[in-house]
Amino acid sequence: MEYLVAFLLGIINAMLVQNTILSKFLGICPFLGVSKKPESSVGMGFAVLFVITLSTVICWPIYQYVLVPAGIPFMDTIVFILVIASLVQICGLFIKKFSPSLYKSLGIYLPLITTNCAVLGTVQLNNSLTFLNSVGNALGTSFGFMLVIFVFSCIRVRLDNSNVPKAFKGLPIALITAAIMALAFVGLVFNFVN
Amino acid sequence: MKWVYLTIAIVLIIVLVAIFFITYYLNKKTPIPKGCEDKLINKENCSSCKNYECDLNGIKNKEEKEDK
Repeated sequence: MEYLVAFLLGIINAMLVQNTILSKFLGICPFLGVSKKPESSVGMGFAVLFVITLSTVICWPIYQYVLVPAGIPFMDTIVFILVIASLVQICGLFIKKFSPSLYKSLGIYLPLITTNCAVLGTVQLNNSLTFLNSVGNALGTSFGFMLVIFVFSCIRVRLDNSNVPKAFKGLPIALITAAIMALAFVGLVFNFVN
Repeated sequence: MKWVYLTIAIVLIIVLVAIFFITYYLNKKTPIPKGCEDKLINKENCSSCKNYECDLNGIKNKEEKEDK
């Protein structure tokens, strides 16, 4: 029971307190680029969830049982990039073959995930944890990514329809909004610590 | 014993590179589902994209040639 509580707390910690976008500032590119519509942001979130979780499950044993005993832990970046890129290709392949409707909504975002630093950053940060904690961290990171990108897309839709000064329309007001959201999440950090 | 792990690591890296190239080739060979090409591509967003891994890059370039 204690392990389950710790696992769930780990997920909540990764999702809110150590949010990958607003606390660690990883994955800013898709955060700004794919957040114009709520539907596309949810699609991107699910694709990232799949890739991060599966990458963690594959990369953690490779790092702990192959790279570290071999004395080459510094090769983790190259190995993880290969795993992530291969997973994205396999993912795209299966979606194209077996689910054209899913490809229509999700397929265009798959190449963006390969170069998404949030995926590589999460997988690398999970190296120091136990396997179960790393899977929980990966799940929490993905859910946190999805939550923030979805909320941001909803705000951007409202901003597009509101009376924003001409100089601030588009990206400037979006960046200001992102900064305010990041400040809000800093409040979560201090509350958690206290 | 360390040499065994080092050999395994090198073989693993070579296997991963091979897997990546094979999956990339298979993905490129697999056609996009019918009816998706025109709905997915967005000329505004894709105009400056240099991501050659994207399946739509080939379609975008083909459309640009046809426009010219």
